[in-house]
Amino acid sequence: MLTALLEQIVNGAMIGSVYVLVALGMVLIFGVMQVLNFAHGVLFMAGAYVCHFAFFKLTGNYPAAIALSMLALGLMGLVLESAVFRPLRDNIQMQIVASLGLILIIQNGVIALWGPQALQMSVPTAQTIVRLGPLSFTAQHFVIIATVAATVILLQLFLTRTRFGTAIRATSQNADAARVVGIDINHVFLFTFTVASALAALGGALLGPLFLIFPQMGDLPLLKALTAIVLGGMASVPGAVIGGLAIGIVESVSTLFIPTDFRDTVVFGLLILVLLVRPWGLFGVRVRGEA
Amino acid sequence: MPVPAILELAGLRKSFGGIVALDDVALTIERPGIYGLIGPNGAGKTTLFDVICGRQMADHGAIRVEGRPIERLRVHERARLGFSRTFQECRVLREETCLDNLLFAAQDKRLGREVWQSTTRRTAARDEAAAEARRLLALVNLDGYAEAPAAALSYGQRRLLEIVSALIARPRFLLLDEPASGVNPTLLNTLRDFLRRIDADRRIVILVVEHNMEFIMSLAARIVVMHQGQVLAQGTPSEVQADPRVIEAYLG
Amino acid sequence: MRSPLAVAGVLGLFALLYLAPVAAPNELYALHILTLALIYAVPAIGLNLLFGYTGLVSLGHMGFAGVGAYATALLMKNAGAGFVPALAAGALAAGVVGALVGMPCLRLRSHFFIIVTLAVGVILYTLFNNLDALTGGAEGLPGIPRPRPLDLGFLVVDFRRPQGFYWLALTVFAAMFLVQYLIVRSDFGRSLAAIRQDETVAAARGVNVFAHKLAIFAISAAIAGVGGGLKVTFLRAAAPLSFELMESINLVMIVILGGAGFLLGPLLGAVLFIAIPEVLRVASELRLIIFGAVLVLLALYAPRGLCGLAEAMWRQLDTKGYARARHP
Repeated sequence: MLTALLEQIVNGAMIGSVYVLVALGMVLIFGVMQVLNFAHGVLFMAGAYVCHFAFFKLTGNYPAAIALSMLALGLMGLVLESAVFRPLRDNIQMQIVASLGLILIIQNGVIALWGPQALQMSVPTAQTIVRLGPLSFTAQHFVIIATVAATVILLQLFLTRTRFGTAIRATSQNADAARVVGIDINHVFLFTFTVASALAALGGALLGPLFLIFPQMGDLPLLKALTAIVLGGMASVPGAVIGGLAIGIVESVSTLFIPTDFRDTVVFGLLILVLLVRPWGLFGVRVRGEA
Repeated sequence: MPVPAILELAGLRKSFGGIVALDDVALTIERPGIYGLIGPNGAGKTTLFDVICGRQMADHGAIRVEGRPIERLRVHERARLGFSRTFQECRVLREETCLDNLLFAAQDKRLGREVWQSTTRRTAARDEAAAEARRLLALVNLDGYAEAPAAALSYGQRRLLEIVSALIARPRFLLLDEPASGVNPTLLNTLRDFLRRIDADRRIVILVVEHNMEFIMSLAARIVVMHQGQVLAQGTPSEVQADPRVIEAYLG
Repeated sequence: MRSPLAVAGVLGLFALLYLAPVAAPNELYALHILTLALIYAVPAIGLNLLFGYTGLVSLGHMGFAGVGAYATALLMKNAGAGFVPALAAGALAAGVVGALVGMPCLRLRSHFFIIVTLAVGVILYTLFNNLDALTGGAEGLPGIPRPRPLDLGFLVVDFRRPQGFYWLALTVFAAMFLVQYLIVRSDFGRSLAAIRQDETVAAARGVNVFAHKLAIFAISAAIAGVGGGLKVTFLRAAAPLSFELMESINLVMIVILGGAGFLLGPLLGAVLFIAIPEVLRVASELRLIIFGAVLVLLALYAPRGLCGLAEAMWRQLDTKGYARARHP
């Protein structure tokens, strides 16, 4: 029993790390721009596909493929922010409509280009087995956990130690005040969206080798990441990290007790519960006017 | 047996985070009329309105209407009790016509009534409401705009529309938050005459937050001065203008 | 809220729709398209009331249609209930579930509320898919009977035939359209419109915003339930895939395309949604890419949909009204 638990905890930490990457992107976008980007799941999925393409067609080097994928999706994020989300600032409903449209375009664009079947991406780290006592995992498990940990630390350092990072934090707290102080909001928004998209791509590229790459692979991670950021407080980076890991571990461990079919219901039930009891999350700030 | 005051505020306190907006505010209003509420920026005037109308809940203190405490009531419940207000930023329903803005403000908002009304449609009542709405619009020279969307009006005209919307439901307490702000001199005269007429006709309590001294001093019977979340002084316009504490608060 | 001309126009439209199978009895394909469109238009009316008129986004609305669908299916299949009572029961069940969901969730700020509706839709779908004893699981409930033929004297309507079912779907749609109309032009509808435009003003003028939102959420869910019941009667089977997330997204698309906040928006959106893929016989992915592009373009340039564009053009022609108002 204990070994099964430990195994699920490590699995949970791995999948949770992936959720953290998606959640980080969403937390950045929501915290800074107050935009709920539902298209983040398809950016994650597109990242996996671009990485696959780069790995098999351009360079046989996995890290290089990841970097190319992040670059490509970052560029896409740039275009999306300027063309779609900037004109729709302050219009929550139309932002959502636009993100739904983007989901359809990107998901079906991928199907049109690659076909509906799942792809496989075998990279060395996914083939290597690592043993921890009686348990065995792939090296990729730990690559993911380590990479995400490093990313989170780098991001936090960037946000707190650099000038632009401070501008981003200032904008997320009060965009009007930031504008008054001379911060160019447009640059901040553009940068945030670009980085968030690159992070989503990283998530897809990291997860791809472990499971299959298929067009719907981003749908559930999107919902899990949404749950994670609600849990952690919609605008908090540490919150997204803890939320993502918690969800990953809870959902993995729950498979020991509940039939797998209901695993997702557990997560969404948790989402609704948190929203009802403590909508500002574990790390969020209670906003004036909220129940 | 003393008659309870129409409106009584006692010991009201409200903080936002570390900032104290209302610091033990006490105020008693015994009779209808126009009351001015003045004070430097940040004195707590709009917060006081928010707390009276229920948009914010006071941290401590009591609000009594003819002796009955209302601090626990929500915004719409206080509105039905007779509190009606306008907003500093001027809020009207921009997509609706002026007439529809007023018809909405006037209609019985109880949910059961509204749903029942969807099936019955008493035309006589509707015509009466529309006639009253047009009459009020005429009083502020907006009758030509009855069918125009509120968004088509100038800022000053929207302010007048907002005030008339607040009035049509026959409130007992009319709270106007900077009604003169951004209004040109011609419309200001219309507004001043209109408020005097309402005061004479309806005998309700009209509380007006204002920065335009000339406007409010010529209109109000009594002035309440707020400073740093407290009531600093009250009295007639001349009394208050001569009060050294008031002078210091504005200049100091 | 509606001019006599507009009322006459709508009545004329319905007359045309009723007469269509009689006027063109061989156009079975077109009839099929219209029937499908009507089946989608009914839950779209529910979403239109919620989103178009009240301003509340619901991304899981077909979940409520599913509740109505399964209730209707179980009653007709296992209890031998008639179509109308079963449909009414389905609407009631969906409305109750809507109220139960709305009560805790409508107090949340808009972003959170939207996320919850998404989660609710997914949870309902998972329940449809997994509560095998009740819903038949992934296979669903096959063998739902069509209503018994209706003898009108001059005509016997056989609902097993395309024309018969078309009239059934049209009548159900007409009933829901009437409900929509009554709500929209009532004081209740006016309060809902006020809530959409400015909740603060609505509350300040005496509207119990929460109670209104709850009421319209439940009503909107019930109408979706009616649509669900109609859908499974048409398909002769109830299956979870009819009510999954993608269907909820389709519903949002239909409402936006036709025009949120317009009475005819749901029908127009549904007709276009069903008909255009049939006209554009391209690969399904390309179709969906086009839909996605349409959504993005609508959000950016025509948020009020096709009805909104039509109204804007009408306003351009009707310059005298506002020109006079601006310069009295």
